[in-house]
Amino acid sequence: MRRLSLIALLLAFGLVVGACGDDGAGTETTGTSAEPITLRVLVHQNPPMVEFMENFNKEFQAANSNIKVDMSVVNAADLATVTQTRLTANDIDVVDIFGFSNAVQSYMADAEPPAWQQLIQAGLLMDITDAAFVGNYDEATITDAGSFDGKVYSVNLGRVSYSGMFVNKDLLAEQGIGIPTTWGELVAACDALTGAGLSCMTLGGADGWPVFVGAYGLLGAMYPDQEALVEGLWTGSITWDDAKSTEMLRRFQVFATDMLEAGVTGLGHDAAPARFLAGDVGFMPTGSWQGPSLEDAPFDWTYLPFPGSDNAAENQYLFGKYDQGWAIAANTPNKDAAIAYLAAFSEPANYEAFANAVGFIPTQPTAELNTKLGAEVAPYLENFRVGYEQYFVAPKGIGQWANASQAALWFYSGDWTDFAALAKQAQIDLQAGLDS
Amino acid sequence: MQLVRKNYLFGGGWRKATPLLMLAPGVFLYLLIAIGPSLATTAYSFTDASGLRGLPVNWVGFKNYHEFLFRGLASRDNLAALQRTLTFSFFVTTIQFGLGLMFALILNRHLRGRSFFRILFFLPVILGVAIQGLIWKLFLHPRGGPMAEVFSWFGSSSEFLGGQATVAFSWVIVVQIWANVGITMVIFLAGMQTISPELYEAARIDGAGGWQLFRHITWPQLTPAINTNFLLNIIGSLQAWQLFLVLTGYKPGTQVLGYLVFAEGFGQTSGAVTTSFRQGYAAAASIVLFILVLVIGMSAAWLVKRRERKYLA
Repeated sequence: MRRLSLIALLLAFGLVVGACGDDGAGTETTGTSAEPITLRVLVHQNPPMVEFMENFNKEFQAANSNIKVDMSVVNAADLATVTQTRLTANDIDVVDIFGFSNAVQSYMADAEPPAWQQLIQAGLLMDITDAAFVGNYDEATITDAGSFDGKVYSVNLGRVSYSGMFVNKDLLAEQGIGIPTTWGELVAACDALTGAGLSCMTLGGADGWPVFVGAYGLLGAMYPDQEALVEGLWTGSITWDDAKSTEMLRRFQVFATDMLEAGVTGLGHDAAPARFLAGDVGFMPTGSWQGPSLEDAPFDWTYLPFPGSDNAAENQYLFGKYDQGWAIAANTPNKDAAIAYLAAFSEPANYEAFANAVGFIPTQPTAELNTKLGAEVAPYLENFRVGYEQYFVAPKGIGQWANASQAALWFYSGDWTDFAALAKQAQIDLQAGLDS
Repeated sequence: MQLVRKNYLFGGGWRKATPLLMLAPGVFLYLLIAIGPSLATTAYSFTDASGLRGLPVNWVGFKNYHEFLFRGLASRDNLAALQRTLTFSFFVTTIQFGLGLMFALILNRHLRGRSFFRILFFLPVILGVAIQGLIWKLFLHPRGGPMAEVFSWFGSSSEFLGGQATVAFSWVIVVQIWANVGITMVIFLAGMQTISPELYEAARIDGAGGWQLFRHITWPQLTPAINTNFLLNIIGSLQAWQLFLVLTGYKPGTQVLGYLVFAEGFGQTSGAVTTSFRQGYAAAASIVLFILVLVIGMSAAWLVKRRERKYLA
């Protein structure tokens, strides 16, 4: 009797605990009927994009009265973490995913597959190969930034350049400074600006990464074939301490300590355009995605490749990446609603409005950028190249200074003051991983 | 004899099992929530788990530990993070302990406005880490922040949290102490209020001065509060990492072990580049952190017990 009572009590407790659990399927079970559906969408923080999506969501909800869009916005740096946790918890329907990159190449021994590949292999992203809206995007985009093992898992919404710089043309003209086309001219322009009590360059470096991303143009100017640079670093044909790389690090140091104004690590990335709009800064090296914030600038500006080389002909390339894309959670209970959402978004008119709002170089062949940014980058689109950051995969066992593409940040913060010493240390840190 | 048995709350027979049954839910929850994840983390540390449901999990033996402690120069950085964790803990524990005691001694006196100051010093404790971080990011803003203004009076400037690793690290220590000194102070205050005023009165009659009162009455009588604060400060500072995330991000030369675990587990180790999810590796790092906390915590507990035997015997 005693034993039975004990068992009964434990069973009752187990039932209570079990009742508190979640089967992970969410509250909705279907996306086809007119039953109320909450479509959970995850995007990263990018003010023009978030503003566009909020308006788009209202229109989508008006056209689909049974669907309520619950959009979560997270910091870009937290997107991977939140995507991982919410997909694993089956708590999201549509996710914002950056273009597939950093794929492990045959020469990358013992490298970990990138996060997007892990998500696909875990069966967390839906195969959308047969979805009609996929056909709205150009073939190169689908192949390069949305496919894995012959299946499509994402549609990418645009290319962006991160290697250019915004130039305040009016300020340069007032100071009698020509638009620099070589590294030497850029150094001279900065000297002239700071000599006149103005700032040469600004950017929003509070998160750290915008400081070294701001120097990616310099990296591209020195190594126009960025895929070959990554392969060279892995295979040993290029080293961080060879003459060319050492010179690049010297220029990184000049960029960080002489060109950038003081205090950029306190300036948020989203706040940087406001600083540039103050009108007393010559240049803002950053991604083209910040262009929409400058559309109504009170001065004339342009967006140019960062002139990092002494040869003007080598400063004609814009380097960048495939930016935001859409993917659908494989286990979503709202499959039809999610597909309807992306189909509506991908309608050419909606997509073109989106690309213009966020400043993406379109990935739908019919879309055009009708903005000032579009006009400014148009001459360089033929020279658009995928950048280093999309190719580099860190070998296991490397030291913290091995990825010298980030050296501008280390010079700016004062962690390194001697470019030659850093060149040696960066190679030692990289080689240690390669040898391990 | 029978009458005596009836006076017990739980008698013989099935009643004897009642307390065990009543304890069972609590024990079960403890096993489920506290012990379960710890054991799972230990098991995970021997696998290549990514943390993604659906991916195979393979047994890799001590490979994660080997990579963390010995592979390439990543091991140098990991061991530096371990050393930094100890440095962080040492400064936070000692300074927070000292300041908390000092504030408590001052605010235990009959001063005007002491309630206001007690609240003021305790206020940061009730703010979340994100708010604490935001306040200090604004305070240390290198372009026009209050501290930058102070520096400018002396013709100096600093990037503070975005500057050299040692500078940024030092500021995180300051913020950690500011955020938690209130709780240290409150524990000391509570301890001081249990000390009988007669003890001080008698000592004063015997001619004891302020230092002697502190040394021979306050300090020994505060033993339980001292021990509690000592252990809480050590363990809390060894585990702290959230302020690093909010204030400095993943910055070379500032990571502590706790942050390293988070960054490896959730693919946040390379700034703009999203890396892989490596929760098996992160679990191995967290076991190293656990062993560190265990060794230091046990040593501290031993010291505390010895001290208790000395003063409270």
